Amino acid sequence: MTDQGMLQHLLAAPGTEPTLASFNTEIWWMVLLKAGMVFAFLLLTTIFMIWFERRVIGRMQNRPGPNRAGPFGLLQPVADALKLPLKEDIIPRSADKLIFVIAPVISATMAFIGFSVIPWGPEVSIFHHQTPLQLADLPVAVLVILAMSSIGVYGLVLAGWASGSPYSLLGALRSAAQVISYEIAMGLAFVAVFLYAGSLSTSAIVAAQNNGWFFWELPVSFVIYLFTMVGETNRLPFDLPEGEGELVAGYHTEYSSMKFAMFYLAEYINMTTVAALATTLFLGGWRAPWPISLWSGANTGWWPLLWFLIKVFILLFGYVWLRGTLPRVRYDQLMALGWKVLIPVSIVWILFIAVIRAWKLNFNSTAIYAVAGLVFVLLIIMVMAWDEAAQQRAARNAPTEASPQPAVAGPGQPAAPAFPVPPLDLPHYHGTGVEPGNSATPAREVTGA
Amino acid sequence: MTGTAAPAALAAHATLAASAPGAISAPPIEYSQLGPMLVVFGAAIVGVLVEAFAPRPARRGTQLALSLGGLAAAFVWTVVIAASRQVFANGSPGHTAIGGAVGVDRPTLFIQGTIVVLAFISVLLIGDTRFSPFVAQAAAPPGATAEQEGLAAGAMHTEIFPLTLFAVGGMMLFPAANDLLTMFVALEVLSLPLYLLCGLARRRRLLSHEAAMKYFLLGAFSSAFFLFGIAMLYGFSGSVSLAAIASTAASNTSNSTLLFAGIALTGLGLLFKIGAVPFHSWKPDVYQGAPTPVTALMASCTVVSAFGALLRVFYVAFGNLTWDWRPALWVIAVLTMVVGAVIAITQTDVKRLLAYSSIAHAGFVLTGVLAVSTAGLSSALFYLVAYGFTTVGAFAVITLVRDPGGEADHLSRWAGLGRRSPVVAGIFAFFLLAFAGIPLTSGFTGKFAVFQAAIASGETALVIVGVLSSAIAAFFYVRVIVLMFFSDPVPDGPEVVLPNVFSGTAVGVGAAVTLLLGIAPQPVLSLASHAANQLFVG
Amino acid sequence: MTGVLAAGTNTDSVAVETVFWILAVVAVAAALAMILVRRAVHCAIMLAVVMLCLATMYAMQGAPFLAFVQIIVYTGAVLMLFLFVIMLIGITAADSIVETIKGQRLAAGLAAIGLLVLLALGIGHAAIGPAAPPSPKYGSGNLTGIATLIFTTYVFPFEVTGALLITAALGAMVLAHRERIAPRPTQRDLAARRLASGQVVGDPPPGIYALHDSADRPALLPDGSPAASSVSSVLNPRTGTEPPQVVRPGEKPQLEAADGGEREPAPSAGSGRAES
Repeated sequence: MTDQGMLQHLLAAPGTEPTLASFNTEIWWMVLLKAGMVFAFLLLTTIFMIWFERRVIGRMQNRPGPNRAGPFGLLQPVADALKLPLKEDIIPRSADKLIFVIAPVISATMAFIGFSVIPWGPEVSIFHHQTPLQLADLPVAVLVILAMSSIGVYGLVLAGWASGSPYSLLGALRSAAQVISYEIAMGLAFVAVFLYAGSLSTSAIVAAQNNGWFFWELPVSFVIYLFTMVGETNRLPFDLPEGEGELVAGYHTEYSSMKFAMFYLAEYINMTTVAALATTLFLGGWRAPWPISLWSGANTGWWPLLWFLIKVFILLFGYVWLRGTLPRVRYDQLMALGWKVLIPVSIVWILFIAVIRAWKLNFNSTAIYAVAGLVFVLLIIMVMAWDEAAQQRAARNAPTEASPQPAVAGPGQPAAPAFPVPPLDLPHYHGTGVEPGNSATPAREVTGA
Repeated sequence: MTGTAAPAALAAHATLAASAPGAISAPPIEYSQLGPMLVVFGAAIVGVLVEAFAPRPARRGTQLALSLGGLAAAFVWTVVIAASRQVFANGSPGHTAIGGAVGVDRPTLFIQGTIVVLAFISVLLIGDTRFSPFVAQAAAPPGATAEQEGLAAGAMHTEIFPLTLFAVGGMMLFPAANDLLTMFVALEVLSLPLYLLCGLARRRRLLSHEAAMKYFLLGAFSSAFFLFGIAMLYGFSGSVSLAAIASTAASNTSNSTLLFAGIALTGLGLLFKIGAVPFHSWKPDVYQGAPTPVTALMASCTVVSAFGALLRVFYVAFGNLTWDWRPALWVIAVLTMVVGAVIAITQTDVKRLLAYSSIAHAGFVLTGVLAVSTAGLSSALFYLVAYGFTTVGAFAVITLVRDPGGEADHLSRWAGLGRRSPVVAGIFAFFLLAFAGIPLTSGFTGKFAVFQAAIASGETALVIVGVLSSAIAAFFYVRVIVLMFFSDPVPDGPEVVLPNVFSGTAVGVGAAVTLLLGIAPQPVLSLASHAANQLFVG
Repeated sequence: MTGVLAAGTNTDSVAVETVFWILAVVAVAAALAMILVRRAVHCAIMLAVVMLCLATMYAMQGAPFLAFVQIIVYTGAVLMLFLFVIMLIGITAADSIVETIKGQRLAAGLAAIGLLVLLALGIGHAAIGPAAPPSPKYGSGNLTGIATLIFTTYVFPFEVTGALLITAALGAMVLAHRERIAPRPTQRDLAARRLASGQVVGDPPPGIYALHDSADRPALLPDGSPAASSVSSVLNPRTGTEPPQVVRPGEKPQLEAADGGEREPAPSAGSGRAES
């Protein structure tokens, strides 16, 4: 991307690229309208995702999935949505009532706010008013999403604590540790984008991807972001806070009815938000993908909304695919991935691209790419060599196969009565085989011993 | 985004906060004048890398060589800067470096040189692993089997060397910091490793943990007060630079509440580090619980550094407000001298005794600070050198007198030590005499210089209190000497181990400097007055 | 509010004033509640409220970056770690209210009153004028302003902060990381050790073959004696050293007789059931 290109674009299509200034001149009913649109969109996406997820996973597991309510089971989520609030709302006796009630509200509210800074499209005309298709923008818009996700975790953690149940508490603890760990890597993945875009504002970041998505320039950041976005939203394979195999349902074990529905809603909205953020930061936001972008009208009017939604739903499909494919990881594996892989790789990557940018700014030569590639290859070779050396060292230190230590008690030693066996006088043993001579008599059935 | 086109492109983004990369012009960085600090910090970072990559058996030797080498290089570099004609050309008092964050002037260099030398001796003590005072495995709870296993395996935390170097780096920056923000960062950099090191004693670990905890909590409180003070002063003057605060204080007399609150709160933070009464209560517990080499480091280097910072803040930023802060500091100085001396009488633990003596000495140095003159500055600098060497030597002696379970800290164990090992007891007695300020020791010269400066600026009452509390202090020093030489030895008394190269050097240098500054103080006195004849740069 | 934040200027002073006073009341109330409530988790939540109020105030002052960093770093990470620790070690409301130093509370109360009087006298007399405006102006660009300061005037303290962070990481390692002294036992070692112990499978669960399913009844060994290892060490085995009630000492001969297979089903089973 060059600035000349960006500049030309700005000059060529004035008014279509929203800037921060566009948000200062908003009319109040326009803001309300857009807020309503965001709200409705998120609710509809959640409802759709519930159906979509169950159907897709069904297909992946060779079964039809929900198919009774309405065509293709499309009304199933509606039925679910009606069912949940009608269920009995239980507050456990040992719960901290106030916090127990507030926690799901925090979770859901923060999830809604986070989406407000996502741009869905360029400036469009609504009721003869030119307005950007984005609810709000700030000079630090990306930080808003991070901040909202970090407050949203309070909902999970407090829910787990307030339930007064050990499973919930364990889920809350896992959630706290997991989100802190993955938020660091997520923030580091953003840093590369900020360096390239020169701004933290989402609309400016989309504008900066005019001549090429950051996906192409920052593939490593994108991959790290994909990992962390799954970790942040507590989805499989990183859904340890819920881990139904171990913790019943984790932090929301004790929740029912509407409160449970709020957690449900928050989870799906968070998924949508991080997918939309991935689209905005790395996949060109609302910009049309390559073959379509050749058409001059692709990035004007309401069309970009379609491209944006397609990208978001492809990412959401990825979520479902992950859930259908991967088992849950172990907790130490999750932490090791976060702290020992994602964060160090992010830091090295940021240093790497910072050097490239500094070089480009100061020397403005293309040779930098050759040098950078060379350094990168060298780095990989070093890591591989180090890994190889570690493997060899481990192999050297490993005990040799030659001396297996059969440590079973020798034949001379009588085996100690170390383990319980059935008491042989139990009544029900007497019917069978204890009196071989009397086998003709029917075995006496003794129950309840 | 290239630098040239970016402003044009972003002009379209009317209120967009982003600006073009390269719009910020980098400030000049005077690497040669920051050299001593950079060397110490660099050695610390290399030490961390050694921890990460060097095989375990090689670590201790490498770390020790690295630490000592780094400190020696820093000292040489400090001397080179002090002798440089470029920095102090045409009688210049020095100047500020790196965007005004760090002052390079003679008093600072004198203080930094002192800190580096004292730290060198302390590192010698820390590196003496014969009876290592440091815990084998800090993560093992006291009394656990893991602790025994660690001891049996001879495990050692070689991280203490980089931690010490970080602390020393912070101590060097603390008196050099020319704005309060840098000073605060330096305060934290010097404190955090010390909090950690305090908790790493090998024996009586719970006491050590308690010391670390107390030091950390109280230190955090005092840092918070210091920070509040900075906020007040920023509110008053709109800047955190010491010179800017001074100039605003000279011109603006209307809004003095913020200024006085700021003086009080920053002063509180600094006086805490010095251990002046009533901010002294951490000192005895921490000095007692910490491993003795760390106590030596704190008693010498930290005090020197904190006094350097106190002198700089009060002489540069509040130099025009002498009439306002002098009475408060006067009260604190009197309290510090009297309380330190009186409470010391009741102590039965050698390290606690030295802690209270350190409090009393802080009061004597404050007498020099109160003089607010070049003579006061130079006498305070001299006193700090004299006291630093004596106290390092005294703590080095304490590491030598050992019971089967560790150092023999209780005074009753020291009874009759003079009959069993007259040399060690004699040297310790010499240090105690120096603390008491008996002629022919450095303590006398230091006290004389300080009191002379105070009288010269009219603080006669303060000097009278100082002399009186010196007399009280002399009583308990002499009591210890009497205990060592004129009472019967305890039956299974402590064993005095022969000093090896490390502890021997520490004791020897301490004793030699104490004697030298007592007999022939003139070179160091003139160096101090040369350093002080131009005050800190602002 | 969006416009206010984006422009970094306070356009509507009445709105700003109103929001400030609401936030001020909420923040001070939350801060008071923080020290007054008894449960540690509630304290942490109150602290979070204070921090959020502060963040909003920063935003109102035209410092959105600081506001959101405050939320992300302090509310999101630091306080979350507080909560984590509070929950992990289960701090309850049962504070110890024993005075370790006699008359401590009285002395503290007197000192506090004294300080209050002093402060009231001092601050009451002093007129606190408006604070000095910050000297350099960086326009509305809050982000670039911070960047400029960090990389020009305060570049040295900024770099030295690195030493602080390294110290913190190193300290955490020293205090929390236990180095392995013996090599980690491999799966093979563990298997060998288990075989050598004579007990190949894990400890037996309680109650097995003991005619009871209560967790404090030990299982029975082949000879009828209770297996102590089958009861969790945190429970007090109900039978202690004596065997479970189904095989009372008096009934032991019956057991042996039953082994011979010459007896009718013993009534002991029934009695055991009746009393369990």
